[in-house]
Amino acid sequence: MDEFDNNEIGRLLRLKRYEQPPPGYFENFLHEFHRRQRDELLRQPLWKIALGRAQEFMMSLNVARIASYPVAVTAVLLCAAVISLKVYQTTPAPNVARLSPAVPVQQAATEGGWSLASPVSTRITVSQPRTHLSTHRTATPPRYVLDSMPVSYESSLRF
Amino acid sequence: MEQPRTDEDQQLVARTQDGNAGAFDQLVVKYTPRLYGLVYNMTSNHEDTNDLLQDIFSKAYKSIRGFRGKSSFYTWIHSIAVNMTLNFLKKRGRRFHLSLDDVDASIQNDKEFLEVTQTSSPVREADLSELQRRLNEAMMKLSDEHRAVVTMFHIQGMPHAEISKILNVSEGTVRSRLFYANRQLQNYLDEFRKNPVT
Repeated sequence: MDEFDNNEIGRLLRLKRYEQPPPGYFENFLHEFHRRQRDELLRQPLWKIALGRAQEFMMSLNVARIASYPVAVTAVLLCAAVISLKVYQTTPAPNVARLSPAVPVQQAATEGGWSLASPVSTRITVSQPRTHLSTHRTATPPRYVLDSMPVSYESSLRF
Repeated sequence: MEQPRTDEDQQLVARTQDGNAGAFDQLVVKYTPRLYGLVYNMTSNHEDTNDLLQDIFSKAYKSIRGFRGKSSFYTWIHSIAVNMTLNFLKKRGRRFHLSLDDVDASIQNDKEFLEVTQTSSPVREADLSELQRRLNEAMMKLSDEHRAVVTMFHIQGMPHAEISKILNVSEGTVRSRLFYANRQLQNYLDEFRKNPVT
């Protein structure tokens, strides 16, 4: 009597191993996996990515006990603070404008057109208060001297 | 099916935990075919299998730092795969459609296939695609948990002990689920026995 017994069922089921995905599927799987990982990472907010990286960095130092969220958050905040400080400090100091008398843009324009490429040999005297000079620092061209003494020898100049 | 060497897996896991993503890639390449078979035979849908496999390896990568080696990586990744697939099947419910892979031509050389088709059995005259369809229909009539056990034991060739570790149940539970599932499959395929050729 033909009927399915456990052995027959087992044999039939084992034949299901031959049901395979399309050719090339397994070869492309890893590439697809990487692509999805990248997409998932890019979908995350920036703070979360930074937090994750900070955690991974702490873990890589084998300090698993302190690689906790508070430490990671503190590390991220510290980095952000340092970066902000550096950005703030890169704004040039007002000392240059204060120590080297310079002329406002309007007066420089009347002198007949300066440019950084061509040093102009004109001594310019300060006619504006020092406090006013700092606000025009970015617009003030460097001072050049016609005198025999080179600019670099002037003690008042600070760079 | 043979179990992969655990010492090689341990080295790859250790390197992954040290931050070597390439080591995890090797684990992905190594386990994708095996896990594909497991998930596909539980879902009977190629597209769902592909999505699940991506999620399984993604979860494994995120969790691997917590892997302490109490079990083999083989058992660990299979546990993740089975649990995620069972969760998926619960959400999917009865809303599914079969999306079956083609049968590889090398089946013609399989010893068991030749025995099944040459002996005096109900499937001797059956069309292979019809057999595949009936088998998958019968499998999908099982509960998700019973299908998981049938897949791991009959299709993947895992021993009862390994299945019990993966499912976190006793070996006795594994054996009883297998017994019940086999009975169910016999009943479902009985119709095929009566009408073997379409």
